[in-house]
Amino acid sequence: MSEAVAAARLARTQATAFRVLVVDDDPDMAAYLARLLESEGLAAETVNNGDAAMVYVMSTPPDLVLLDIMMPGTDGFEICARLKADTATAMIPVVLVTALEDQQSRVRGIKAGADDFLSKPVHREELVARVKTLKRLHATRRELESRRLAAEVQRKEALRRAFSRYISPRLAERIISDMEDEGTPFRRGAQRVSVVALFADLRGFTRLTESTGVAEVVGLLNEHFSVITDAAYRHDGTIFSMAGDSLLVGFGVPFPQADAAPRAWRAAHDMLRSFTSVHARWIKSGGVPTGLGIGIASGEAILGNVGSPHYMSYTIIGDAVNIASRLVQAAKPGEILVSGPVYETIRAMIPAGAAKSQGEVALRGKSGITPVWSITV
Amino acid sequence: MDDKSNLVTVPKDLEDLIPVFMSNRKKELDALRVAFAAADFEQLRQLGHRMRGVGNSYGFAQVSDFGKRVEDGARSGDRALLESTIARYDEFLSKVQITYE
Repeated sequence: MSEAVAAARLARTQATAFRVLVVDDDPDMAAYLARLLESEGLAAETVNNGDAAMVYVMSTPPDLVLLDIMMPGTDGFEICARLKADTATAMIPVVLVTALEDQQSRVRGIKAGADDFLSKPVHREELVARVKTLKRLHATRRELESRRLAAEVQRKEALRRAFSRYISPRLAERIISDMEDEGTPFRRGAQRVSVVALFADLRGFTRLTESTGVAEVVGLLNEHFSVITDAAYRHDGTIFSMAGDSLLVGFGVPFPQADAAPRAWRAAHDMLRSFTSVHARWIKSGGVPTGLGIGIASGEAILGNVGSPHYMSYTIIGDAVNIASRLVQAAKPGEILVSGPVYETIRAMIPAGAAKSQGEVALRGKSGITPVWSITV
Repeated sequence: MDDKSNLVTVPKDLEDLIPVFMSNRKKELDALRVAFAAADFEQLRQLGHRMRGVGNSYGFAQVSDFGKRVEDGARSGDRALLESTIARYDEFLSKVQITYE
């Protein structure tokens, strides 16, 4: 072959993305098939046994495999069946090339998953016609696959945007990656879970709305919710409700978190710290002084979709939520009130002198008494 | 086979593959002789099967014909057929005339 012809062949070969692996224990047969393919502008590689074929396909998956059946060691049927059984290689078309004419072998080839057959001696026109047909199918399949992937990316992006209203980006990613599972949390029915509930609420908000213009109130609320939402997400909390000036965040849901209480504590700490600068700007612009109070409680709750067919809310209901709600109502500006069990879990994290026992408190609407601790940072 | 049967026409674009092809046929002839001497009919069958597949592809219909006879002889255990076929294959390889077009 002249250099010019070789260069032209190489250029044509490189111009196409369609790569064919020829597997034949007879090197002359393999060279012949490769030559016919290359003369049609396709890239062809040859290997001489089944094991080498498997290694090649796994490392550099071709677009088509021309596979001899009768080979020493692993035969073509076995190679074909293995390729078709592996999801990574199942879509690669396999053409069985054989001198076997009997129907039984064809049936065995079909059972092994072969896409087509070629009989030896291989006729040039037949080989080219079959490969071109499979190439067209391959291109169509690729196009459909790329469209499917694009649609999948769009769908996941839409889900990510929707989820990010309620949960941290990390949790959103986890849920989306688990979408194939039946166990996706939003599809489950209601379930009883252990939860740490955190309420954050602006103190004196009602008075503030009465004395401040609507635009200023909305501006403050937006800034307030932005910083406390960020703090909740930083620690992988899930936002269950945002009403008026109040935010309900759950930890340990929808996925269990062994360190749910420490996460809630860190989130509360971040919320207060972030709110300090929001409040400073608010005061500087002439706003009425306000403050952020936080209540945290742990316990069992029911997690699930609650509501009517017309309006449904993914939420948590239960004692932990009720106690956290009572605690936030009692919290002063800049104060975090936590229930006894939460305090016991996070006490080592609290700066010395920052926590003070409030004793056993009878919370409004609760029949028993609850140990409460006040933390100021 | 008469003298004409030693003539082979090969497609021009396969010309550069023919030296290796012919070299492999001579190795194949040696392998046939070894297998025949050892009465290894399975090896003879496989060699015949391979000859049958590759011959016609390159334009060597005679190689495919010899291959079919070797395969048949191996299957039936016909030593006389195998011996004569191997001898005629040897003769063919020594006399073959190849043209390219």
